[in-house]
This record gives sequence, structure tokens and C-alpha cells, in this order.
Amino acid sequence: MTWLVLTLTLRQLLGQRRVLFLAAVAALPLVAAIIYRASSGEAEAAEFAAEVVLYGIIVTVLLPLTAVLLSTAALGSEIEDGTIVYLLSKPGERWRILAGKLLAAWGATTAIVVASALVGGVVALAGEDEWAILGGFVVALAVGSLAYSSLFLMLSLFTSRALLAGIAYAFIWEGVITNFAPGVQRFSIREYTASIAEAVADPAPWVFEADLGTTYSVILVVIVTGVAAALAVRRLSRFELSGEA
Amino acid sequence: MSAEATARPEAAIEVIDVSRWYGNVVAVNGISFALGSGITGLLGPNGAGKTTLLNMMAGFLKPSAGDVRVLGAPAFGTPEMYRQVALVPEREAVYDFLTGYQFVLLSAQLHELPDPEEAALEALRLVEMTDAADRATGGYSKGMKQRIKVAAALVHDPEVLLLDEPFNGMDPRQRLQMMELLRRMATEGRTILFSSHILEEVERLSDNVLVVVAGRLAAAGDFRAIRKLMTDRPHSFTIRSSDNRALARALMAEESVFGIELADGTLMVRTNELAAFVVAAPRAAQEAGASLFEVRPEDESLESVFDYLVTR
Repeated sequence: MTWLVLTLTLRQLLGQRRVLFLAAVAALPLVAAIIYRASSGEAEAAEFAAEVVLYGIIVTVLLPLTAVLLSTAALGSEIEDGTIVYLLSKPGERWRILAGKLLAAWGATTAIVVASALVGGVVALAGEDEWAILGGFVVALAVGSLAYSSLFLMLSLFTSRALLAGIAYAFIWEGVITNFAPGVQRFSIREYTASIAEAVADPAPWVFEADLGTTYSVILVVIVTGVAAALAVRRLSRFELSGEA
Repeated sequence: MSAEATARPEAAIEVIDVSRWYGNVVAVNGISFALGSGITGLLGPNGAGKTTLLNMMAGFLKPSAGDVRVLGAPAFGTPEMYRQVALVPEREAVYDFLTGYQFVLLSAQLHELPDPEEAALEALRLVEMTDAADRATGGYSKGMKQRIKVAAALVHDPEVLLLDEPFNGMDPRQRLQMMELLRRMATEGRTILFSSHILEEVERLSDNVLVVVAGRLAAAGDFRAIRKLMTDRPHSFTIRSSDNRALARALMAEESVFGIELADGTLMVRTNELAAFVVAAPRAAQEAGASLFEVRPEDESLESVFDYLVTR
């Protein structure tokens, strides 16, 4: 069942217009890298790749945007148009449906952000011997997209405005509030992602430095992913169609 | 007529004093009935609570009060029930990017049937959709979507089939074909419940009927008995003729007429024997030497019939 739901959801997601929009946004790191190479800027290539391309554009904008658009569509659109009935009117555990949805949203999100990171990173780092930073971010993006996907998928089961709620979380909470109130950085998937990237790549401090500890970030990623998925399964098991007479 | 009239031994569906409300809105109010094998029509005007009731039986809504049991188990929170139960929802949406065959096959695979391909082909044959099976469902007409939804619901050969407005969008030939299929399935011992707001659909397909109005069970049981109740209820007619006074005098002598009002150049006539009145009215006009210009029933809407059943 999980595999069927996974392949069905991937077909659903790929057929949506939002994928075209995401493809355009995913090209931004490449554009930034080309501009950097052409302008021979003052920043070192590794620092530019890490701070601007990988963290500044991909972790900060592309990752949450892709995750929120795909994860809320994965279940939310089925709930909205009523096709969820065709999945739920089957025997078998509900977690298998959610697993298929989560794997599809996670896989599609990871594919887009990792492809964008690889293309932008390779252009920015061409001729340099700093590939570890790219490897670190690729691993971190895969982990971060799992946490985001689980969170946004769960949101789509609790509210029909999951897209709005997800954007508010990613761009108001993580983007604005955590900058003004450093204490709440502890509750930011963006910062967990940055911390994991740093831990895997182990770059020089002038290249890239995360604000949170690695152990703490890994534990929080596991907790966020697990709790959101558990809440989503619970909600799906008690799912009710919205009120129609 | 009591709701128990429909109770049968070994009921596949039991609805016991069930209510469902959304905030302050009561959609279903204290309904009880039991259904065994055969076809039952769930009749009621739009907004009466039919979909809410069907969704509760299909396990997609939890009753706010009361119990809904299907094949002996609570309908809500029992996914295993779907091995023997199927729902054809009213909403049109299917996975538009799948072909008809892929859509039905998906249903068979999700049911983990031993031979999903053969089961899908058989279901497509049953609803006569084999020719259109390789086309994307996004290009289907409304009637074709209804049939492909029915095929997906039948793919695992369910014992209980719940259909929400299944004839919406079907042309007359498709409607007849679907009715024939449902009749055949009922004779095989299945329990089939379908909702409709169209009296004639229910009349043609099922002897057993549940009439729901404003969230309440207005009547339940044999269709003919309910139909008689509907026919025998008081009817009002507005009549315009060349001589309303003479016609009123003649109609007063008719046994089927129990009330007449003359106002604004029209007659308002009330009868409680519709069949007799239909014969009596032209006869009275002839006796009075009056020409009938218009005989218009005042309250023939389905809602007024249902209202009568509720308030009688």
C-alpha cells in the first residue's frame, strides 16, 4: 500500500503547476553562482557557496518553500477534492498511507533542493578544493526536508490553511522572529539543517558556522519528524469528511 | 409507520438513535433503522442529511450520539470493515491523470486482491466501461465518472454497497444499466443503500425506502405504502375558469373536495383524494357550464411532500 500511495502521490505532485514554479526558484542558486563567477567578487568561493548559495538561498528559501508546497499538496489537495476517500476506504493500517505520502513529499522535495544545490554549488566552487561543504549541505538538505515534510504534512491534516500556516512558520517564525529573539532559534528546522551541514562538512569557521549544536539539532530533527508523523497518523486514523448534508 | 418496519434479521447495517451535529447545526437527528440484504433508497431533498448519514455508515464520520454498526462492528475507526463494504461518494473528483483501468486497478491493488488485474477488468465489464478503460478519467463525462467510481467500489466484490446520488449525471440508458446492475447485485444477497433526491429513481429501483427530511427519518419501509401516503395527503389546486362561482357550487357537491376559497378571480380548492378529484373537476366544470383555463397544483414540490410526511 505504501508503495502504491508513494507512486500515486509522485504522479499527483509532478502534474501540478507549483512544480514549474519551484523549478524556476530552484534555478536561482545557479544564477547567483554564475553572477559570482562573472563578477570575481571579494568573497572566497567556499564562503560564497556556503553562506549565499547553499545557506542563504537554498536552506533559507528553497527548502522550506519546496517542502511546504509539495507536502501540503500531497495530502491537502486530496482532502480538498475528496479523492482521499479512495485511499481511506481500504483495509489496512493508516500509517502505511501516511508513509507513502511522506516518502513522496520528502523524496520530491529532496530531489529538487539537492539538484539545485549540486548545480549551484558546482558552479560556485568550480576550480576550488572545497567540495566537503557541498557534501555537508547535501546531507543536511535531505535531513531537513524530512523534518519539514513531516511537519507540513501533519499541518495539512489539521487545517485547510496548511499552506498559509507553513509559509508563516518558515518565513515569519524562522525568517524574522528567530533573528530578533535568538533564544527561539532552538525551535527552527532551518537552524537544525545548518548545524547538520556544518557537522558533516566540518568547514573552517570563516567558511560557514552554525548557531546550534549538532547533537541537539539531530535530536530535535528526530523529535519533530517523529511527533509530526505520529500526530498525522493519529489524525488520519480518526479522519472525518468535512460537513456536507 | 415505525422505523422498525425495515428491521430485518441479521441486519448488515444498524443505525441506532444516531445524531450528528456540526457546531450548532444538527445534520442528523435521532435516526434509527436496520437494513438487511436488498436495495434500499435513501430519499430526501438536498440538505436533508443523506450524505451525513451515508458518511457515518461508511466510517467517514463519527456520530455525535448513538451507534452506527456495519456487519456487526462500529463503522467509525474500523478499516477492516472495507474488506466487505464499499462507498461510492457523491463528489465527482477521481484521479484525473489515471486511465479508467488504472483507477480501478489502483483500487484492486489497495485492497491487496490476489489477481488485481483480472478483478479490475471484471469490474469494468460490469459497468460497461471496457471500451473507455484506456482513456484518462479527466476526460470522462460526469456519467462515465460515476460508472468508473462504481467499478472501483465493486472491484473487491463487497457485501455492503453504499452509493451517494449514484445516478447524477447519467443519461437514461446509463441509468437503466446501472439500475439493472444494482438489482442483480441485490439478488445475490448484497445490502445496497443508495441516496437520491429524485422520487422516481427510488420508485424504480427499490421497494424499501428511508425518507429523510431536515435530519429526521420521516418515513421508512415499503415504498408503495409511503407513496400512498404521499398521494393521499391533502392537495391544493388553484383553478381559473370562465365562471368561478358556478364552478365552486358544482365542486362543493363533490365528495373529494373539502374546501373552496374564491378570491382575486381564482378558486383555491382543497382535496384529500387526488385520483377522485382529477376526475371530478372536469365533470363539475361541465355541469356548471364553465370553461377551465388553468388547474394548477399548489404544493407539488418534493419538499412539500416531505414536509407533509414529517408533520403528519
